[in-house]
Amino acid sequence: MASVGVDRWDWRPGDRFGPADDSNEPGTGGNRTVSVRRTLYRRFPAVVLARRNLSRNRLRSALSVLGIAIGVLAIATLGMFGNVLQLAAAQSLGGLGNQVIVNPNQDAGVESLSDRDLREIDRAAGEDATVVPVKTGGALVERGSEGTFAQLYGTATPGALFEARSGELPERHRQGVIVGPDVAESLDLRVGSTVEIEGNEYRVVAVLADTDSITPVRPDNAVILPPDEFRSDEFDQAIVQADSGREAAAAADRIRGRLNARQDRVSVFELSSVVSRIDEFFDLLSGFLVGIGAVSLLVAGVSILNIMFVTTVERREEIGVMRAVGIQRVQVLKLVLAEAAVLGAVGSLLGAVASVAILLGLYEFTVLELSVVLHPSNAVYPLVAVAFGLGTSLLSGIYPAYRAATDRPVDALRG
Amino acid sequence: MDPILELDGATKTYRTGAGKVVALDAVDFGVDPGESVAVVGPSGSGKSTMLNLLGLLDAPTSGVTRLEGRDVTDLTDRERTTARKESVGFVFQDFFLIPTLSARENVEVPTMFDRAGPGDRAVDLLERVGLGDRLDHYPDELSGGQKQRVAIARALINDPDVVLADEPTGNLDRETGRQVLEELDRVRETGVSVVLVTHDPLVTEYAGRSVRLVDGRVARETGGVEA
Repeated sequence: MASVGVDRWDWRPGDRFGPADDSNEPGTGGNRTVSVRRTLYRRFPAVVLARRNLSRNRLRSALSVLGIAIGVLAIATLGMFGNVLQLAAAQSLGGLGNQVIVNPNQDAGVESLSDRDLREIDRAAGEDATVVPVKTGGALVERGSEGTFAQLYGTATPGALFEARSGELPERHRQGVIVGPDVAESLDLRVGSTVEIEGNEYRVVAVLADTDSITPVRPDNAVILPPDEFRSDEFDQAIVQADSGREAAAAADRIRGRLNARQDRVSVFELSSVVSRIDEFFDLLSGFLVGIGAVSLLVAGVSILNIMFVTTVERREEIGVMRAVGIQRVQVLKLVLAEAAVLGAVGSLLGAVASVAILLGLYEFTVLELSVVLHPSNAVYPLVAVAFGLGTSLLSGIYPAYRAATDRPVDALRG
Repeated sequence: MDPILELDGATKTYRTGAGKVVALDAVDFGVDPGESVAVVGPSGSGKSTMLNLLGLLDAPTSGVTRLEGRDVTDLTDRERTTARKESVGFVFQDFFLIPTLSARENVEVPTMFDRAGPGDRAVDLLERVGLGDRLDHYPDELSGGQKQRVAIARALINDPDVVLADEPTGNLDRETGRQVLEELDRVRETGVSVVLVTHDPLVTEYAGRSVRLVDGRVARETGGVEA
């Protein structure tokens, strides 16, 4: 049989069924909107139909979007919390894990580190690590009528251990003193001021910066002198500054092996293993927090599963008629999955945006620093959470979509 | 002339809790091009089963379904869906328009996923059924008769060989029903076969031939001339 073309239609259009009234006539201003809608619909029929179907029951769709948003928010926020905690802790612990402190073993009668000990330590520490010999003591530091008791450190290379707030740390510390911030404050010292320690007058060449990290050598309440100003010629501490916790641990082992081979001459103190334990703990904590978030996303996934089931059952006849007029199973699958995907995408984006807002709120209302809050590693969590949100929604859509697609149109149309 | 759509000894049995039910019992039936046939009979007589077989929505338990002389009994779901899309148009008692789609979009549903769009064919069809001014109206803005005319336009979007109408006047008042039947008669005049499944005597007036089903068998044929 020849195909029937439109041109073979021979009755006059609308001769019997003319327009009943014109009240439903769309306004001319709507033409552009209509054509945009039409282009969108032709290009992405599944997505446009999904959006329209979801807007049929706005409250229900909004609630399932909310579920996904909360799940994504939970994963992203808790993940970022864990990360921020870890970053903040790493910042506080600072170089703690990278330092090895070598003290003479006074239990064995060793009172100080000899030049030979220091050479051995230097060799054992290796080329990448810096060894800073330090003399320690304590004394009253005076300025005019005021005075404060301060820790004294004697080192020739203060730049390896400290940072200055004002003035410059000398490459070789030969004259003058460097004062810690607390000392500077209590005596109102600045670069150029003069202090008196045990009868000698010194000019302040630099003031140290506040330390916000934990270090074995705390300079806040200290005065750093050139080592020659100490009565004793021998050093009573050596600080080994390595590049990483692992190098510090290796250096500590080598120092023990070299200096304590016959007799325990020195006690070696290093925190790299403690720091790595702390790191492990924070990794665990992050994983745990993300896990809690994942549970809430799972709940959201079940709610999408439920919603998709309800909507496909409600629209059983519609889907049946689509199948009858020539829509393939896989296309029905696409239609239903598109709905789940739209729910998931909107929910995930809302959740991610909210989580970033919460992170910024964290910066606003806590002592966290901007560098920690804006650290690029934080971005991973919202991205991963969005991926999980979308994935969960699609996964939840698969079974209802499969059921809808494989429903026989005969059964669907019988109702 | 070879029938466009044909059942050859088609039997359909259903398994129920009580046992087997024979819905259709060795029915021979054919529709010629450009012919309109009414299938009548009391409820439970197998009318709907027959329509499902003719519309390739279901396959007979035994016997053969032929479309344009081709045996389409054992097609896969995908092939059968494609055959329906290309050759069969459906008009249902409940219209079954999709409420979120405009009249024009509803007419285009069968071509929704086609790469090449339907162009202005939907507009032409809607104009021809007198709804040229209702293109962007949604089903809830249309009367029952208008909805059924949208459904007729949808059935014609892919230029089918046959339109199957299941109680097309069932949800319409008498005058609107008559108008819809006249519409379907105009469709037939263009060379498209029309099968009307109904228990409405009015419908048989518009059909060239009537086939009466009783208990799954063809009881009586009236009118028309066997080809």
